[in-house]
Amino acid sequence: MLIYENFKAKLLNILKFGINPFKKFVSTGELKEDLGLMKSRKDLLSTIMEIIEDNENCILPIIGDVGTGKTHLYWALKNRMYYHNTIYLSLDEVYKRFFYTIYSEFIEVIGLDPLKNNVNQLVNDWGALERKFGFFHVAGPEKIKVNALQLIEDKFDDNEKVALHDVITGITTHQLDPYKKIEAERWLLGEIMDIKELAHLNMMHDLTKNRNAYVMLKLLIENSKLGTIIFIDDFENIIKSYTSTEDKEEVFDPSWLYGKEESPDEILSLKVLRRVLKLQKINGLRLLITLKSEASLDEVKKIISKVDENIIPYIKSPLFLSEFLESDIYEFYIKNMENFLENGNFTKIPDELLEDYFPLTQEILENIYIMAKGNPREILKILIKIFNEIIFSNRSLSEIQEKYKKLN
Amino acid sequence: MSDIDSHILYDSVNNVLIEGEFKGSIVSKCNDISDSLIFSDNIKISDTEGISISQGLRVGFEEVANRRNAFSRKIDYDNNTQDISIEYSILLPEEVMQLYDEGQFSDTFPYTLNLLHTAGLYLRDPENKINHLDFFKGEILKNPISLIMNGILVADRVVIDHRGDPVFYDCLIVGRDQDGNLKVSYEPLTNVDDKVVEYIIILGNEELRI
Repeated sequence: MLIYENFKAKLLNILKFGINPFKKFVSTGELKEDLGLMKSRKDLLSTIMEIIEDNENCILPIIGDVGTGKTHLYWALKNRMYYHNTIYLSLDEVYKRFFYTIYSEFIEVIGLDPLKNNVNQLVNDWGALERKFGFFHVAGPEKIKVNALQLIEDKFDDNEKVALHDVITGITTHQLDPYKKIEAERWLLGEIMDIKELAHLNMMHDLTKNRNAYVMLKLLIENSKLGTIIFIDDFENIIKSYTSTEDKEEVFDPSWLYGKEESPDEILSLKVLRRVLKLQKINGLRLLITLKSEASLDEVKKIISKVDENIIPYIKSPLFLSEFLESDIYEFYIKNMENFLENGNFTKIPDELLEDYFPLTQEILENIYIMAKGNPREILKILIKIFNEIIFSNRSLSEIQEKYKKLN
Repeated sequence: MSDIDSHILYDSVNNVLIEGEFKGSIVSKCNDISDSLIFSDNIKISDTEGISISQGLRVGFEEVANRRNAFSRKIDYDNNTQDISIEYSILLPEEVMQLYDEGQFSDTFPYTLNLLHTAGLYLRDPENKINHLDFFKGEILKNPISLIMNGILVADRVVIDHRGDPVFYDCLIVGRDQDGNLKVSYEPLTNVDDKVVEYIIILGNEELRI
């Protein structure tokens, strides 16, 4: 029977495998974050959830300095609001095919079966389940298309009518025409289709066409049982290029092409902004935008009011994401170590050991907090550095501990 | 799901007659030689004026040139002017009809045969027997209506299995229990031995659209 086990040595041995428990200091929209929010931030999350639940349509700005955990907040929100479709959007990636990119993300988030249910519900609402003689469903795709157009065309602008025809055709074909179902499903999933395939489906464009993707998004989001949240990270990127005064090396004078009033960057920014604001017109869609400062928010508001003043009332008062409190670093350290040991399927290390912050000490964590000025990203960077030293250097743990106790 | 409390509007056997105008999914069984059925979305029942159905669909067999042919045609029924009497009329509960609706457009059965015109798939009558079950073995036929002993079976589709027996999918069943009381049930799938089937009629698409 094992009566004594040196868990400290065991934990150090685990670390010596070469896996740093603190891996990355930048959160992204692609890689899932398992670690929840620290206690001091839970109130903020509750407030966000409250605003989302109370407002069917809103733009909620969240302001936080670089590295305060804005993107990490997205993952926390996504995990907590699992009854909403939460989509992450980085403006750097959506300058082209804006709505198509969002549509692709939306489909990835909801999955195929809910998409099928959603379009099935739409077709039913358009009269597919009308019962002739009280029993028999006889409505064909053509009749449903006519019904659908009558029912929903008022909700769309005149320049979206062609796209609406494509979308209605795609949905009714998928649901009511078994012989074209496979092609229609590919279309619904946003696959790129050639003209022959589109002609077979009696359509003009696939969903890479922005208008088609927008109409489809609007239909799906407005008819979804779950609310939808789009989390747009670093929203000030949209104004950066708009207000950029940096000297750029130009090979030709852009005013020849674009006139003196606006630069190409401004035109592009405005185009993206208009598209973002168009999303706001979709019922049931909440936009969460993250910004680095209040000044950026003021700039954004100014530009938005130039584009569409009616949007301003939908912009909620900003919420602020502050730096870590000192207590957060201790909680963060313990949670992260527990997460590391659990996910790595390592032997259970007693909680007391982690609560003593082994292999670090409370003093070291306090030092790190002071050095990083409470910024989560900076804290992570220092933790990564220390653990790399523990793992890879030949120095003893006590030497490393001493080194970081002195740093301040 | 079975033995759902159905809305029995009229039952000549058990002396049930509920007066009023009703809308929904109503099936009425006629007391005629071919046990024809009337499907309708309305019925008006009055103790004094009798039963009337507007724009219903009557389905059954009729004799044409000494042969029994299946038919389905629109009917404006009034028991004062027509010599067909009704055995019972049942309004199917909406929750049952919702189950029936959900069973439609199934991805599992994309290649279903739709007949243009109503046709008899099976008729047990020994003198005028019709049996096309073997011909359609392995096929899926849309909109079958069947009379099985004393019960009516309306399904979304029927498959003829390798033994030549019909398998009905997404079925509404109306029939009498051992005490003679009318019952309604919904079954996603019903296997039936062709020996107990009185008739199976496949409704034609064109005749449903009229």
